[in-house]
Amino acid sequence: MKPFLDLFSQNDFSLIAVVLLMPLLGAFVNGVFGRRLGKQAVRMMALSAVGVSFAAAIATFIALDSAVDAAHTAHGEAAHTKLSWLAWEWMRVSGPNGSKIAIDLKFSVDALSGVMMLVVTGVGFLIHVYASEYMREDKGYWRFFCYLNLFIFSMLVLILGDSLPVLFVGWEGVGLCSYLLIGFWYGKLPNAAAGKKAFIANRVGDFGLIVAMFLLVVYCGALDWDGIQRHANDLVVTSDRPGPIHLWPIGGGKFEDYVIAGIRIPLHNLQPDKPWTITAATAVGLMLFLGATGKSAQIPLYVWLPDAMAGPTPVSALIHAATMVTAGIYLVCRLSFVFVLSPAAMIVVAFTGAATALLAATIAVVQNDIKKVLAYSTVSQLGFMVLGVGVGAFTAGFFHVFTHAFFKACLFLGAGSVIHAMHARIHDEERSQDMRNMGGLRRYMPLTYGTFLASTLCIIGFPGTSGFFSKDEILARVLIETPTGVKLANGAAPWQWPSWAPWLLWGMGVVAATLTAFYMMRLVFQTFWGDFRGWTIGRPSQLSKSHHDDHGHAEDEDAEDGDHHHHDDLSQPGPPPHESPRSMTIPLLILAAAAIVAGIFNPAAIKLVVSTFSFLPLEHWLDPVFSDAARGITLADHHTAHTRELVSTFGAFTAFAAGSGLAYWVYVKEKGKPAREMMLKVPRLYKLALEKWRVDEAYDKTVVSGVDALADTAASVDQGIIDFVLARLTALVVAATGTVLRVIQNGVVHVYAAVMVVGVLALGWFFVQPHADFTVVEQDGDYTLQAGPGPGYEFRWYPDATKEPQTKDFSETDNLKVHIADGKSQTVKLEVKNAFGRVGSKAFTITRPAQPAGAAQIREQ
Amino acid sequence: MALAFILSPLLVIGAGALLLMLAEAFGPKHNRTAGLALGCTIVFGAGFAFSVGAWLYGVEDVAEKELIVPWLVIDRFSIFFDGLLCLGGAIAALLAGGYLREHEMERGEFYSLLLFSTVGAMMVASAGDALIVFLGLETMSLGAYALTAFRRTSPRSAEGALKYFLLGSFAAALLLYGFALLYGATGHTDLAGIGEAVRAGGPHKTMIIVALVLVLTGLVFKVSAVPFHMWAPDAYEGAPTPATTYMAAVVKAGAFAMLLRVMLTCFTEKGLMSWSAGWPPVLAWIAVLTMTVANLVAGQQESVKRMLAYSSIAHAGYLLVGVVAAARSMPEATSSVLFYLLTYTVSTAGAFGALILCGRKGAEAVTYEDLAGIGRRHPAAALAFSLFLVSLAGIPPTAGFFGKWFVFRAAMDSGFYLLTIIAFVNSVIGAYYYLRVLVFMYMREPAAGAPVATPMKSGYVAAALILSAVLVLILGIVPSQSLDVAIKAASIFGPPGG
Repeated sequence: MKPFLDLFSQNDFSLIAVVLLMPLLGAFVNGVFGRRLGKQAVRMMALSAVGVSFAAAIATFIALDSAVDAAHTAHGEAAHTKLSWLAWEWMRVSGPNGSKIAIDLKFSVDALSGVMMLVVTGVGFLIHVYASEYMREDKGYWRFFCYLNLFIFSMLVLILGDSLPVLFVGWEGVGLCSYLLIGFWYGKLPNAAAGKKAFIANRVGDFGLIVAMFLLVVYCGALDWDGIQRHANDLVVTSDRPGPIHLWPIGGGKFEDYVIAGIRIPLHNLQPDKPWTITAATAVGLMLFLGATGKSAQIPLYVWLPDAMAGPTPVSALIHAATMVTAGIYLVCRLSFVFVLSPAAMIVVAFTGAATALLAATIAVVQNDIKKVLAYSTVSQLGFMVLGVGVGAFTAGFFHVFTHAFFKACLFLGAGSVIHAMHARIHDEERSQDMRNMGGLRRYMPLTYGTFLASTLCIIGFPGTSGFFSKDEILARVLIETPTGVKLANGAAPWQWPSWAPWLLWGMGVVAATLTAFYMMRLVFQTFWGDFRGWTIGRPSQLSKSHHDDHGHAEDEDAEDGDHHHHDDLSQPGPPPHESPRSMTIPLLILAAAAIVAGIFNPAAIKLVVSTFSFLPLEHWLDPVFSDAARGITLADHHTAHTRELVSTFGAFTAFAAGSGLAYWVYVKEKGKPAREMMLKVPRLYKLALEKWRVDEAYDKTVVSGVDALADTAASVDQGIIDFVLARLTALVVAATGTVLRVIQNGVVHVYAAVMVVGVLALGWFFVQPHADFTVVEQDGDYTLQAGPGPGYEFRWYPDATKEPQTKDFSETDNLKVHIADGKSQTVKLEVKNAFGRVGSKAFTITRPAQPAGAAQIREQ
Repeated sequence: MALAFILSPLLVIGAGALLLMLAEAFGPKHNRTAGLALGCTIVFGAGFAFSVGAWLYGVEDVAEKELIVPWLVIDRFSIFFDGLLCLGGAIAALLAGGYLREHEMERGEFYSLLLFSTVGAMMVASAGDALIVFLGLETMSLGAYALTAFRRTSPRSAEGALKYFLLGSFAAALLLYGFALLYGATGHTDLAGIGEAVRAGGPHKTMIIVALVLVLTGLVFKVSAVPFHMWAPDAYEGAPTPATTYMAAVVKAGAFAMLLRVMLTCFTEKGLMSWSAGWPPVLAWIAVLTMTVANLVAGQQESVKRMLAYSSIAHAGYLLVGVVAAARSMPEATSSVLFYLLTYTVSTAGAFGALILCGRKGAEAVTYEDLAGIGRRHPAAALAFSLFLVSLAGIPPTAGFFGKWFVFRAAMDSGFYLLTIIAFVNSVIGAYYYLRVLVFMYMREPAAGAPVATPMKSGYVAAALILSAVLVLILGIVPSQSLDVAIKAASIFGPPGG
């Protein structure tokens, strides 16, 4: 639409400011005045803020589309086009080699960030609508929407930032909001702990991101996307400085053997003879990916995400499923041109993704908490996305981000709707989320069931749905695309992937997809099919003694929720579960519809759809963004690619059919009997999977306790040495000196004047006193001595201090050249006479080392 | 006409001062001081507006400015200072409007003195002749002496003013003697001419060095550098707080303008600029002494106002670090000094303003104990005070951070690593006493029965604080534009030795 482009120029597209700042305004108003405004006003503010932001995002996107078209016509081919808006120039700092690095608060929208922007504001808006009903009874309503709006703002900063530092601001901002929202019901200890866990796990990732920024400053001298892209090739330099990175396994370079009492301790074996040398591209890639594993919940930092489900369900849907957790994948896509330089970093990315997909799927199979299953399924799906970008299929990986946002948001909101209904009966957080208490809900909640089923079909890859296209695309691309990197500066090829790697990755992906189909259908069958099992739950006879003990403090926490109808009569079976109100079901319907149709943005699907639809499929749309990355990716030849695509599609379809068929057999045909038998047959394996392979416990035993020990040591050093000796002692010295100096300030004006006189005399003395000083510069044994100038100074040089001066009288000559032979030393002396006729002198002994190129050693006499 | 325009800041303030005197004399009988504070603020605001106008108009192409050379040199540097001094004056005038009325000592001459003294400061900043420097200096100082003594019923006020006057006259005499010797040695009174003659050398080297010592003493006295600072705490504490604000912000800025202009115009001969025997090492020693002594003593004060007085001395030390760096890399380091002055002016004026806000007649905020628990009782006042103290301590995202950052970076770029480290250590010591106020405001409760400060209500003071707070935040978050202005203002000084 041209009007927007006419209104705002491409380089100053200030409509972006509206997209960004509306949520911030909402957060501000709700945060500062929300408590007094009342729920209706808070709701109004929050919804309109995100709604306006969404509308502006659509307008921006349309403008971007026409700008892309314009560029297309102008260049004859698709070019990378973006709309940018400079908020302000923040600062300029000196970079390496005298370059200047501009750190500006600049935002931009291109094809990649444009799609993300639409998803975040669009899905965000729907979830806001949903949450305004879901959270209706909560006392902290205003606080919730303040955080939620602030989250949207931070996420938009993350996406739209035009440089790493701006992205980092958003990155930290979403981390903060996530922390605040996970611990939203902070009165409950597990929630607060989950919030902290998320924050700390993310800090580990942030460390990687910061290190990557430092490396990029050193190697590329830029932090904005265009700058990094321009200088990306500098990351594979082979020159000396800043060259490739040498890593010693234990750090600190080589060790010498240590001889004690005649026994030689072979310390040199500790280190290999040579360091591992990696290119800077690998280092930057791995460090960026460490950041991505934190946000996108990949091994080893995924542990926070399942715990994060302690937050309110809309939060889980928005932050921990649809948007924030994809930030890591967005980062990899955004800097794809850096990643493709290093196949070594890419294989780490790909295998981490595949392993995460598989591991999380195995855990999800045995969980009973509806949100836990969805949480692990999120981790697993994120693994798929990472696998996709890891093999260089950035479009496919990002496409899965796009489709996943819809169906996973819908799934979580559906789960929320179920919990909402269950909670009305059971009033217990844990049991209202337990699938064993559900069943048959499709009769009572048809809308929820319908949308939930639709999204489930998407996630398990039912043919024709969006998930089918996006997940299969990833699996097919694993076989077709291989990152091969670019040639290093010295012409050598970088390290290459072994040929079995794609097949192994594909195998892991297919197994994970099978498991996905199984556990998702298990979820549907257990929740919505069969008979309702919750009739008896909640009766006093069911509330065992031990249960009361476990939740003995539930009373006062419930007051925190503002949920006061907990004391109704539980002796009667309550009314059947009811469908949720309209403001909750409408978002569900929209999301489910979007989830189903989102697949048509895929090129494979476009063939099925009538070609009269005039929109660009996602792949062509994103092509310019990833065109630079394409040079580091090798595609299989056309024939092989076609065969492998068929193989992969077959494999994926089999995975879907086998997984869901198995679930149908186990949970519908046999009513869960095989599962129970299995459980009894391998109880330890079952328990281990139920306890999430005890990864948390392993972390506790190793990393956490290690850090604890370090912290204890540091604390005792701090208390014993820093606080006691350093701080007290310094404070004492400072205080004592201050007190002494204060005595001089005694209020007697004579003393003041006297001090001034002393000051004047000291100044005078400095100028009357001659200051002989010179610097020495050496070149091939010729030493040039340059005397420091002074007011009215005259100089007399002694090339050899023991002999006669060079000239008899003082002169203006302020430098002296002497030649000193190898290994000899000589004392040189300078006398200066100042304007007052006073003479001062300074002597140096210059020693020239035996090596011809050695620097001069200067010793002062 | 163009000449009138580029001189307009000076003319507006001068004319405003005269008008204000008339307004008071012929004002309504029952309330002579009505509207004077507002009028004074408007005059300062007009001065600021005209400075901005002159800046945007540009002075490089105005041929008429040669008519007043060498007496007044109107360039980017002087216009920058015109704006800065008017800004500081405006904040001081707003504070006076609230403070003087609250403490029932509002008399019209305060505002006239404020304006006349500022005229002096602006003259100093644009002076191109030693005599004009002296004239401006005395105009500025006489106003400041009178403002210090303005609390007529308070013996401390009179004592502080007398000390300030005595020592100030002493320093002014030294300065004048130095200028006389320079005239004797070079035959010039205009600064540029003196500079040229000094660079050319000649038979009167000793005379020039003695003159340098005397001039330097006179200059550093005005910026209250150790050991010529002894007057400052007494005068600052004795003066009514708006006058203290004025001295800490405007007088100090004027003195730095003078220091930069005189030192970087007159004494640029190679030998005099030498790092081994010229004035930069002397100034470096003074800077080190100033920072260290002021910070150490400030930590020992019980009165918050006196602490802020010492803090203002310490800031002169940081600024001197920048001046020392300016001797080696002139325009860059000078621009950092100018930017620092800007950030320091808004931060320190805001801090004194917050101190004014925290007390009312009979319940003034004097000691740390008076402020105990004010964060809970009056969050807005405490928040404002915290912001300015944080800025003075140099913590982001406030103006003070970037001020320190640019000065320290200039010093590092010029190779003064040891000096920068000392300055760093000193700003750490400084953080101690600034944060101590925060500790008292937020983490202590007043002892039972102890007198506590009660914030006053005044639109003037609130306006001053809001203005300063906005500037502190803008300079701390978006420093680049103001920095560009400072760089442009400093560009009138060429590379060293030239």
